Amino acid sequence: MTLKLVCRLPVIAIVFLSIVLASHYALAATPVIEIKIQNHLFLPETIKIPANTKVKLLINNLDPTAEEFESYELNREKVISGNRKAVIFIGPLPPGEYPFFGEFYPKTAQGKVVVIEP
Amino acid sequence: MFLNSVVLVLQEALEAALLISVLLVFSKHYQIKPRWVLVSIGLGSMGALIFALNMALVSEWFDYVGQEVINALIQFSILFLLGLLVLSLSINNPFIKPNTNVIKSNLWIMVCMILLVCLAITREGSEIFIYIGGVINQPSYAQPTLAGSGIGAGIGISAGVLIYYGLLGVTRNKVTAISLSLLSLVGGNMASQAVLLLTQADWLPYSQILWDSSAQIPENSVIGHLLYALIGYEATPSLFQFSAYLGGISLILIFWLLGKLIDVPSTMALDAENTGY
Repeated sequence: MTLKLVCRLPVIAIVFLSIVLASHYALAATPVIEIKIQNHLFLPETIKIPANTKVKLLINNLDPTAEEFESYELNREKVISGNRKAVIFIGPLPPGEYPFFGEFYPKTAQGKVVVIEP
Repeated sequence: MFLNSVVLVLQEALEAALLISVLLVFSKHYQIKPRWVLVSIGLGSMGALIFALNMALVSEWFDYVGQEVINALIQFSILFLLGLLVLSLSINNPFIKPNTNVIKSNLWIMVCMILLVCLAITREGSEIFIYIGGVINQPSYAQPTLAGSGIGAGIGISAGVLIYYGLLGVTRNKVTAISLSLLSLVGGNMASQAVLLLTQADWLPYSQILWDSSAQIPENSVIGHLLYALIGYEATPSLFQFSAYLGGISLILIFWLLGKLIDVPSTMALDAENTGY
């Protein structure tokens, strides 16, 4: 009897975990923030996101040339091909300012994420 | 544009230069002809070009996080290959086990080295190709970018040469320990970067930031860039990243120790007997 229960425990645990994970993902829809790259500029340059929340950045590169989204503060780095879109997940983050830039055109492509208390 | 391209190319070149020079030191000690480097640089450059040309397509895979997933896959493959290489280097260490079947084991070691360098260059080089490819069409940017890239690559290669001769100058007892430590740092770096990419892609959950050393050594400082390229320095590493870093280092060291435990001379001798050597 005890042995049977022990054998079933992993199955019960997996089912339980799947339910928890499924409900977690179903309930917590990640907010999406859209950023454009145009003429080697980030538009908008400043984006505001709530603290302690994971956010999906949808970056749309309207330039024909590639750009690399880079931020030391956010610990993010990603090449975005010309005329293409890219997704980068950031956070959850504590309140503060997190600059980012385009590594290929850093003179103009500058921006920051401002994390504010909700 | 000029300085920017120097930094960008140098950072990518340094990572590859460190790996190549350490592998060259090993291949010298194992009496493997260094021609394999040319083969792997050629194959790696081709890989980088193909990867760069298809980056737009790859990026759209897995709901726009294909770039992270494929890069993480390459990094885990590098870690795995480093493990295999270290294992075979350890099993066939000519300093400790001089009777091993050199030709047979060296072929395997060479294949591992070629694949390693090829993958490393594919990863590092694709970014350079995309960067130069975009800038080259703009006449005002083209010249400073190409000059900067050339200088960046030059400094990277020089650093590699320095590391190579520096390691050759070290006594035999110490060279293995130092080269092995460097390879294990590369392994740790790969694991940590892969975990970071998978977090960025939301394939791995967020984990807390362990410390913030950006005030002491900013990542965008010269030392920060250098440390990033050589040991994978991050000013704000997460718990998962740091664990992966330690895991990567341990994996390489465990493979080395494992190789020491395997008593190959006796099996090789048996093998030689069977084949009539």
